[in-house]
Amino acid sequence: MIDVQNLSKQYQIAKRDPGLAGAVKSLFSRKYETKQAVQDISFQIQKGEMVGYIGANGAGKSTTIKMLSGILTPSSGVVRVNGIVPYENRRRNASQIGAVFGQRTQLFWDIPIRESYHLLKHIYQVPETEFQQRLEMFTDVLDLGPLLGIPVRQMSLGQKMRAELAAAFLHNPAVVFLDEPTIGLDVAVKDRIRAFIREMNRQQETTVILTTHDMQDIEEICNRIIIIDGGKILYDGALQAIKERFGDKRTIHFDLEKNDGFTIPYALATRVEQVVSHREAAGKSNSISLSFNNAEITAAEVISEMMQAYTIRDLTIDEVHIEQIVKDIYERGL
Amino acid sequence: MRYLRLYGHFFTAQLKVMMEYRLDFLVGVFSVVLIQFTSVFFVKVVFDQIQSLNGWSFYEVLFIYGIASTGRSIHHIFFDNLWTIGWQYIRNGEFDRFLIRPVNPLFHVIANRVQQDGFGQLAIGLILLLTAISHLSIVWTVGKVLLLIVMILSSGAVFVAVNLFFATLSFWMVDSLPIVVGVFQVAEFARYPLTIFSKEIRGLLTWVIPYGFTAFYPASAFIEHSGYQSVALLTPVVAVVSCWIAYWFWGKGLRAYTSTGS
Ligand SMILES: Nc1ncnc2c1ncn2[C@@H]1O[C@H](COP(=O)(O)OP(=O)(O)OP(=O)(O)O)[C@@H](O)[C@H]1O
Ligand SMILES: [Mg+2]
Repeated sequence: MIDVQNLSKQYQIAKRDPGLAGAVKSLFSRKYETKQAVQDISFQIQKGEMVGYIGANGAGKSTTIKMLSGILTPSSGVVRVNGIVPYENRRRNASQIGAVFGQRTQLFWDIPIRESYHLLKHIYQVPETEFQQRLEMFTDVLDLGPLLGIPVRQMSLGQKMRAELAAAFLHNPAVVFLDEPTIGLDVAVKDRIRAFIREMNRQQETTVILTTHDMQDIEEICNRIIIIDGGKILYDGALQAIKERFGDKRTIHFDLEKNDGFTIPYALATRVEQVVSHREAAGKSNSISLSFNNAEITAAEVISEMMQAYTIRDLTIDEVHIEQIVKDIYERGL
Repeated sequence: MRYLRLYGHFFTAQLKVMMEYRLDFLVGVFSVVLIQFTSVFFVKVVFDQIQSLNGWSFYEVLFIYGIASTGRSIHHIFFDNLWTIGWQYIRNGEFDRFLIRPVNPLFHVIANRVQQDGFGQLAIGLILLLTAISHLSIVWTVGKVLLLIVMILSSGAVFVAVNLFFATLSFWMVDSLPIVVGVFQVAEFARYPLTIFSKEIRGLLTWVIPYGFTAFYPASAFIEHSGYQSVALLTPVVAVVSCWIAYWFWGKGLRAYTSTGS
């Protein structure tokens, strides 16, 4: 579905003299500074895959997505989306993709979204019956009912984002690019949006590429992740695999009856390590956090040993967060 | 054809919004009429002092004015978005969304806005034209009426072409609006008989920024003593050529578009 080979993008940042004269002068001759945003990346994505494209701020995620959607022309390399080269055949590519850019609106600012959807129907040449069916379903899943009569201008961020999502899927695109679709939203709206994306993927086998800084999005939507850093791909593979590789590290927080003179029980000593978590830092002095590798010892064993040695009031087990994994890769490499 | 129908859909969607804000609509139209009326009033005051301007009578000048206003209204109503392409779309990266739609991005930008105030311009233009015509002894045939329509459309096209050309600069500079506005001011000169200006200015308004073809030359086609009746017939050609050049330049701008970081 998507084929990316040795893709690179440099931005030419024009340096010019200030003022109008400088601007006019720069039309004819200018000095450039080059900024390498994406560097020699390659990957393939199959139909129906949902891929998380993640990385730190400025890693090159949005730049990649803009090249895939035909907004930007690559400096070098090849992109094919469903066999079409997006930047050469922009209009043809446009009719088979959908996009949400979290920071922007795809809808018409002043026009009630119902009208906006009708305009999009004409722009994408969606048959009327299909359009009605889809709009009905979207209205239902995204709870757009009360919003249809008002323009984006008057919507809250969460309302707007739901409206945007519907707009992106209205023409049943083969590929959808979602650049931070959950940015700034509350948990309930995030849930709804994730459910919607999964539903569309299930029904239509829509291929989804998602960038986000919210690892929950990734865990709930994607089965594959591509991690990019400094314009280069760090990791490309199953989410599960990287979780297993890096995600064996577990932490359990114990709330003890009293903790004066705490030492790690002898049976655990070699395999478990005491860490300082934010709880102790916050002054809950009866808390102890133990960190261990899941491959060496199970959580059950740790808990059982601890219960023999101390009186435990409460305990919580930290879930494996991909956020931590990504941070580890950033800091230590693969 | 598809674009025409699509434009219709854009147009009606916006008309509905306009009708919701009827007061805005009326105020907008009224203020444009007022502005235009003051400039006509100025011409009237001038002609109260003199009999003719370089051989052109008051109603002949009014005729030129009428063509300029009507032509300008085409631009004003349908192509108003060209003005603000820079800060409204390009500078902030909003332009991205036009590039991921299966229609021509320039068409999309233009269709995205219908400027209601332009209807005031159209009204004043037609009033001026009709007033002038009723005082001029032009013999109207079907051919001449058609010619007038072609001339007015060409005048509008020249306005569009010039604005498009300079608005395209936004792809390279932060905001071209000051330049676009500056250039547009030049059109004010073109509402008078060009013969009153020096050779340089006349050349500028004919060959560089062809605003002469928005009013004076097209009007000359109907005024026998103008001495420009044959040049006047070039108007549609100039309109087509300027649009072509502007669109070519726009294409270059499009390729230079680099979006924004966020
Ligand atoms: N239009 C542009 N012109 C010049 N430089 C740009 C432009 N867009 C992005 N950059 C630069 O390219 C690099 C990659 O930016 P990009 O927007 O792709 O990052 P990102 O991964 O999407 O980051 P974020 O998570 O913050 O959205 C950054 O260093 C940025 O400064
Ligand atoms: Mg980004």
